[in-house]
Amino acid sequence: MKDHNPPTAAPATSPSRRAFLRGIPVLTAAAAMAPAPVLAADATHHWAMLVDVRKCIGCQACTVACIQENAVPEGSFRTFVSTYSVKLADAEQPAGTYMLPRLCNHCDQPPCVPVCPVGATFKRADGIVVVDGDRCVGCAYCVQACPYDARFINHDTDKAEKCTFCAHRVDAGLLPACVETCVGGARIFGDLNDPAGELRRRLDAAKAEVKVLKPESGTEPRVFYIGLDERFQGRVEGQGTLWQPRATHG
Amino acid sequence: MNPDIVETVNVAREVAWLPWAVQYFFLIGLSYGAYLVSLPGLVFRRPGWEGISRLALLAALVCGLTAPVALLADLHQPGRFWHFYAYFTPSSWMSWGAFFIPVYLTGLILYAWLAFRPALARHADEGGRLAGLARRLAYGGHESRNALVAAALLAFVGAALVALYTGVEVMLVRARPLWHTPLLPLQFFVTALAGGFGLTLLFNRYLSGRGDPLATRRMANALAVTQLVALLVGGVWLALGLSGLSPTHAQALAEVAPSANWQLSAVWAVAATVVTLVLAWKRPGSGLAIGLLALHSAWMMRWTIFIGGQEVPKTGAGYYSYQLPFGPEGLMGIVGTAGLWIFLFVVLTTLLPLDRIGKSGATGA
Repeated sequence: MKDHNPPTAAPATSPSRRAFLRGIPVLTAAAAMAPAPVLAADATHHWAMLVDVRKCIGCQACTVACIQENAVPEGSFRTFVSTYSVKLADAEQPAGTYMLPRLCNHCDQPPCVPVCPVGATFKRADGIVVVDGDRCVGCAYCVQACPYDARFINHDTDKAEKCTFCAHRVDAGLLPACVETCVGGARIFGDLNDPAGELRRRLDAAKAEVKVLKPESGTEPRVFYIGLDERFQGRVEGQGTLWQPRATHG
Repeated sequence: MNPDIVETVNVAREVAWLPWAVQYFFLIGLSYGAYLVSLPGLVFRRPGWEGISRLALLAALVCGLTAPVALLADLHQPGRFWHFYAYFTPSSWMSWGAFFIPVYLTGLILYAWLAFRPALARHADEGGRLAGLARRLAYGGHESRNALVAAALLAFVGAALVALYTGVEVMLVRARPLWHTPLLPLQFFVTALAGGFGLTLLFNRYLSGRGDPLATRRMANALAVTQLVALLVGGVWLALGLSGLSPTHAQALAEVAPSANWQLSAVWAVAATVVTLVLAWKRPGSGLAIGLLALHSAWMMRWTIFIGGQEVPKTGAGYYSYQLPFGPEGLMGIVGTAGLWIFLFVVLTTLLPLDRIGKSGATGA
């Protein structure tokens, strides 16, 4: 897999003044270079996820696995399963339950990237959108810009945080924690560039049924859905949940 | 709302731009608004505006010095503010803003210093409090007309850039339809200018003899115009939303219209603007009332846009509920900013008493 390191200023390796002065142009150039969104088209891998909503049972195992894997603080979530009670018209039972797993969509046109004032958030060559925690100033502009409410400020680190497709696991050849733990096999993770891979095959097979969230926003999400009801594709028009968990932080 | 769908499990995202951000946008708006009020008397030498303009310049300075502290505090990593300068990102308006603010403040401080040098010298000569400091700051107390105009010009460029970036930075957030309206920068600007007049009216009111009545009338008239423009812009916003001519406005309206809180906010905002307009027009002598009303509208508009806007979920149903915490991330942030503002006001008015700078023609610039 092609690894991409965040652009950082080159450290002065020699203690001598001459070496330091020689390094100034490099430092300046590195600081001036804006990390433009990198698209993954030419990379070896282009990681993506397919969520088969029909198979999700709303057990929240993915939610818990993600929290465990990524040490997500109490009250914050990188992924979760939104659950809705939907009145049924043509069925014996009065209502059914609709589950919708949500996470960062790792968009190919991520609105969170250009707004970041310090270039801390960027799209890796393999398609994963990440935050450079060493650079993030916690301004939360990316939190505002994300159309999927997928970002938040981590109150343990005071930095912007989001799903990374468990990049540390993927880099080690493992699956994201949520995929690994999904009881119903509703989450399929894979490489869009691999024609023989399960993700590509499933996407090709379900072509007409494949949808993304908020397609009109032009973000080109790389989290795809099968069985996505149009009523849940954008902001859900319905009665809001009455109970809202609140994190206790100072 | 679709009554057939009830959200049973979801996550509430908390407000990420805190009341500190509201304070920043409020204070920087007041600052550039008051700066603009300072121009007729100090730069263009319009008769009858000298006192008002000096008061406005003091208001611009106090607010301009307080605002960046609130902005810094809104960062969750304030110690990393230098990253803005080390990692300039041209695609981000916030990144540009980090450079526009120093341009504005440098121009403003220079402009204020050049405008107030004679007053500082007089303060030193008359042996007022901190006379020694006033003498040093006056640096001879000369009037330098050309330098003042040059500094005012630099401040103007900075003020225009700050007004532009604070509006566009929010307007560009497509994920929040309420913010993503092209009228938002104009609304910020108009309410900021009204707030600038409001604060100057307040300063004018606290001069001995309750200030110059002619000056109060002049500002009341100008304030009435800002309120009229604010109502017109609001009307255009509503018309675009109701008619569906602009999908963004329609979406923004659809998101907030069902909420009782939003309905109350809208009625409140319109009522406050109408009352300010009527008072400023029919009773232009009511300087204190219209000044406070204009300040209230400028603050409330920003609170509603920022905090209220973040209560609208981007994907979920209903609304998030925000309760103002008492700590630094909430009430203490507002109180702290106000405290810093008062401290700077006390220091600056010790060196530059309102009565000295506010009297028309008392100290030329």
